[in-house]
Amino acid sequence: MSKKIMLSSEGVEGLFIANHRFNTTSVSFNFYLPLKAETVANNALLPFILTSCSKDYPDFSLLNLKLNKLYGARLDASCEKYGDCQLLRMTVSVINDNFSFDSDSLVKQASELLLKLIFSPNVEEEAFLQKDVDREKRKAIEHIKGEIAEKRIYAKTRLISEMFKGTAYGIPKCGTVEDVNAVTPQSLYKAWQNMLRTAFVRIHVVGAAVPSKLFEEIDEKFAVIDRHNITDCKICKPALATDKVNTVFEKMDVKQGKLVMGFTSDVYGDDDLSLPLMVMCDIFGGGPYSRLFTNVREKMSLCYYCSASSVRYKGLLTVDSGVECENADKAIDEIMNQLKIMQNGEFSDSEFQSSIKSICDSLKTYYDSQNSLDLWYALKINNQNLYSPEDIIEKIKAVTKEDVIYAAKGVKLHTVYKLLPKEGVIC
Amino acid sequence: MLKETITSDIGESYVKAVHSSGLKVYILEKPQYNSCYAIFGTKYGSIDTCFSVDGETTQVPEGIAHFLEHKLFESEDGDAFSKYAKTGAYANAFTSFDKTCYLFSCSNLFYENLEILLNFVQSPYFTEATVQKEQGIIGQEIRMYDDSPAWRVMFNMLLCMYKNHPVRIDIAGTTDSIAKINADLLYRCYNTFYNPSNMFLCIAGNVETDKILKMVESGIKQSNPLEIERIKPEEPQEVIKPLVEQSLAVAQPMFCFGYKHNADKAPTVKDKVCMDILLEIIAGDCSPLYKKLMDDGLINDDFSSEYFCGDGYSAVIFEGESENPKKVADEIKAEITRLQQDGINKKLFAAVRSGLYGNAVRSFNSVESIAMQFVDCAMNDTNIFDEIKYLKSVTTDDVFKRLQLFCNEKTVLSVINPLKEDKK
Repeated sequence: MSKKIMLSSEGVEGLFIANHRFNTTSVSFNFYLPLKAETVANNALLPFILTSCSKDYPDFSLLNLKLNKLYGARLDASCEKYGDCQLLRMTVSVINDNFSFDSDSLVKQASELLLKLIFSPNVEEEAFLQKDVDREKRKAIEHIKGEIAEKRIYAKTRLISEMFKGTAYGIPKCGTVEDVNAVTPQSLYKAWQNMLRTAFVRIHVVGAAVPSKLFEEIDEKFAVIDRHNITDCKICKPALATDKVNTVFEKMDVKQGKLVMGFTSDVYGDDDLSLPLMVMCDIFGGGPYSRLFTNVREKMSLCYYCSASSVRYKGLLTVDSGVECENADKAIDEIMNQLKIMQNGEFSDSEFQSSIKSICDSLKTYYDSQNSLDLWYALKINNQNLYSPEDIIEKIKAVTKEDVIYAAKGVKLHTVYKLLPKEGVIC
Repeated sequence: MLKETITSDIGESYVKAVHSSGLKVYILEKPQYNSCYAIFGTKYGSIDTCFSVDGETTQVPEGIAHFLEHKLFESEDGDAFSKYAKTGAYANAFTSFDKTCYLFSCSNLFYENLEILLNFVQSPYFTEATVQKEQGIIGQEIRMYDDSPAWRVMFNMLLCMYKNHPVRIDIAGTTDSIAKINADLLYRCYNTFYNPSNMFLCIAGNVETDKILKMVESGIKQSNPLEIERIKPEEPQEVIKPLVEQSLAVAQPMFCFGYKHNADKAPTVKDKVCMDILLEIIAGDCSPLYKKLMDDGLINDDFSSEYFCGDGYSAVIFEGESENPKKVADEIKAEITRLQQDGINKKLFAAVRSGLYGNAVRSFNSVESIAMQFVDCAMNDTNIFDEIKYLKSVTTDDVFKRLQLFCNEKTVLSVINPLKEDKK
């Protein structure tokens, strides 16, 4: 159901993900660049500045008015960390032509708009306009500083930066406040040029049909760009186990503590290698049937939430929970105890089956969300084989209990991060 | 069972049925989808703290609707999650100001999941021991919300906007109020509000309507419909206090700026459509105000507005992050005054209306969104396609009329400031 579309420029791929069930069509541009401290902030600003204005729409109000006229066409920008790469995404989605009051060619107009935003930004003399750069820098800095307000996300981000200190994966996905402050209209222009020249590029269309001539136009745009040194998305160093667990505390004016634990895994890599880790992580701390939920939360009432998630490509597993300060150590002991149970294979067949069923059930729902499908393929870039959710369902069904035990045995504690209330007991 | 099919001109149709118990059932089939989404809910939320049935009035502790939601997952023969674990469905529940909903989403074994849902919501099982255990878990949840600036900024505003209406109370209650909950009280609330005549079942996805209706026919326990009188204290038109500030661990101030509206009459779908358009014209991302605030560095992409209304309360809320929330509030007031004098820009109106129409069409992409819209239909006795219908016919005059509801003297600005030492 997904079809690769060959484009003539090096490192530029098209992918048509055919799906007739939606009232909308979406087109996304995905640019993959290496994650480096010196370029991270400039790169991260690009999707946002490019989707805020352009030569044709020099002001964001005019652009937003145009989107409204295109029946609420949605323009989204994001910057994600993907393995040791930075993924810059720009997406437009619009209702299909048959829903417009006057049979406008909405899909074609919206995809052409996206092309113009990416390839014809509002630049003068090899620089973006100062006012646009200032606005996007301010928003980015407020966003970075604002992470502290969401304690659960903040705690997890802090764990990652501690655990991967000094490596690409430890770099914050949008850079630091200092990095953003250093961005200039000229540096951003260079980053834009660099993105067009060196990023690995994947363009997705999710919908009933490819907008006419879209890929021909994309080909023409890239034909005049000198493409070289294309990002190799397959480069990704796995997390390395440590002999000495690193424990980090931070005190803040909060009532509830946060506990995040980072583990390394011997099982890692793409879908052909790492699916047992997905199943292991799910039985351990996935749904409400998982060991962490049923024991740490339900039986012992130690916390409001306690769950595990994994980044398989990095061989990383994390457990995060909200706990009272005095319960943090009890929670750590119980989480480690549950890991041991996983390693000893002392989980039941029904737990194993629940997990397989739950994973397969949710994989099937990917087909019912345009955005999920789009993102699914954007995050499969470094796989040898481009598997669909259906393909992965078949592979998950082939994972055995022994595979899960093997994956659990390779999971080792690396870093513990605790966010503690300022007042009260010292834990 | 009474049953009718409702069609639309966007190619979607649904069935609304009413079971002999009074339970309302809404089903929209999406045969080309893999997944299904089902919500079994009751018109019972945190604001229902005082009620009367057959002349007997009951006052219950704050947060009991939410507590009941947690407890209902446990039945005598095990908890609902362990039953869903056998089917692989995703299950959850939530309590808001005026409703409690139990839901699941799945792409396999829909009818088995529906049976689990219908069974556990109709099988209360509360003991003093299980109530006590839950007090610990919910106590943690309340503490988590105490640390959430987004939650605090909203409730601080409501506390200053409403003097008596229970919308001012945290949905989960307080550690003190939930300590007063016991099994007896839970049963009393359950037997009142979980009467099928006060409930709804909303389903969208790859399902067969007739099969569901058959299951409902036999799976809903018969009981006599109840007349529930929801007792709401008298609420003044004025706000209590125009400004409230608190300091928490945030990097820059967060704000909620609300207009208290007269809530004598429940808003119609047309009122809501007009208000949605109006909010886009006042502060949407192509409005002059939005441009000014963004250019002046006073807001970022988190800025948003909401029409917040229910039984006995109605407000418009603008929220976001800003270095200077007071300036933002002043600019909003000035813009509303300007619009009240100058009227509505016709071009902006036309663009915003197209945008909202597109969003409404888009919402039918998602089975979750359809099921949630059905919940609104059940709560307000409306039709899911009304919004699209009104979006096509609404005029600038209709929208302009709603501008008169805004009174700059009936506003509350709630601000969460950074703690002094964090400000650097």
